[in-house]
Amino acid sequence: MRKRRRASGADQEQTGIDLAPMLDFVTNLLIFFIITAVFVKEAGLEVNRPTSFEQPQEEDSKSIQIQILENGEIWVDNRAVDVRAVRANVERMSAVNPDAGVLILAQARAPTGTLVDVVDQVHLGGIQNITFSTTQ
Amino acid sequence: MQSRRHAPETEETGIDLAPMLDFTTNLLIFFIITTSFIKEAGTVVTKPTAETAFGRESGNLMIAIRDNGDIWIDRKRVEMRDVRPLMERLHIERPDDTVVIIADKSSTSGVVAEVMDEVRLAGIQIMSIAADPAS
Repeated sequence: MRKRRRASGADQEQTGIDLAPMLDFVTNLLIFFIITAVFVKEAGLEVNRPTSFEQPQEEDSKSIQIQILENGEIWVDNRAVDVRAVRANVERMSAVNPDAGVLILAQARAPTGTLVDVVDQVHLGGIQNITFSTTQ
Repeated sequence: MQSRRHAPETEETGIDLAPMLDFTTNLLIFFIITTSFIKEAGTVVTKPTAETAFGRESGNLMIAIRDNGDIWIDRKRVEMRDVRPLMERLHIERPDDTVVIIADKSSTSGVVAEVMDEVRLAGIQIMSIAADPAS
């Protein structure tokens, strides 16, 4: 490098800036960003939680309540229903009350898989406003 | 370029760095743009599937809940009481981060609800429960 610079000093036409430090720097940046790059994208479902000061909406009679027991049973309207019937129930009840939200009351030991299934079915039934609460 | 190659002095026979520099700079810009500093959970859980799951652009703080109730954040296992300070710190670092809770199919709803409460108390309002889109 030094040799070349001296040579370029000799003839006047080779007076470009030295790119080597910039190249080093850019390569370091490149390596840093390659190492830190993570290509993960999680798909998910959004559910609300009731704020702690607000009671779990007992007074809000318009919301559709779905209960999940700890053995995975799903109760809508005081009836045990299959997970595939949740959608039909939600559609029927939202036809009566078009602006009703859904309140999912899960027992603390209820499996999350069932919870996500229910949330999915409610979404398919056309309701996006889902609140999730747990009971003991 | 052409004139340099046919230059009479034989001393200047180094390879031309310009195309490599162009290429490297393009790569650099690509990685700068695509980087998003995701905090991975660092454990493997069996995610539930859902037909209506959708990918959110900025869901980049992952909290994993294993089937035995263990909570993993940023490749470390943490206790429930540590979730809130940890989330507060990460929230201050990057305020527009959102949280994705990756709960195992057979984890309990109580743990999920508790984690959601802790995250919300830490000031992060937008969170979602991870699910694999059903195929």
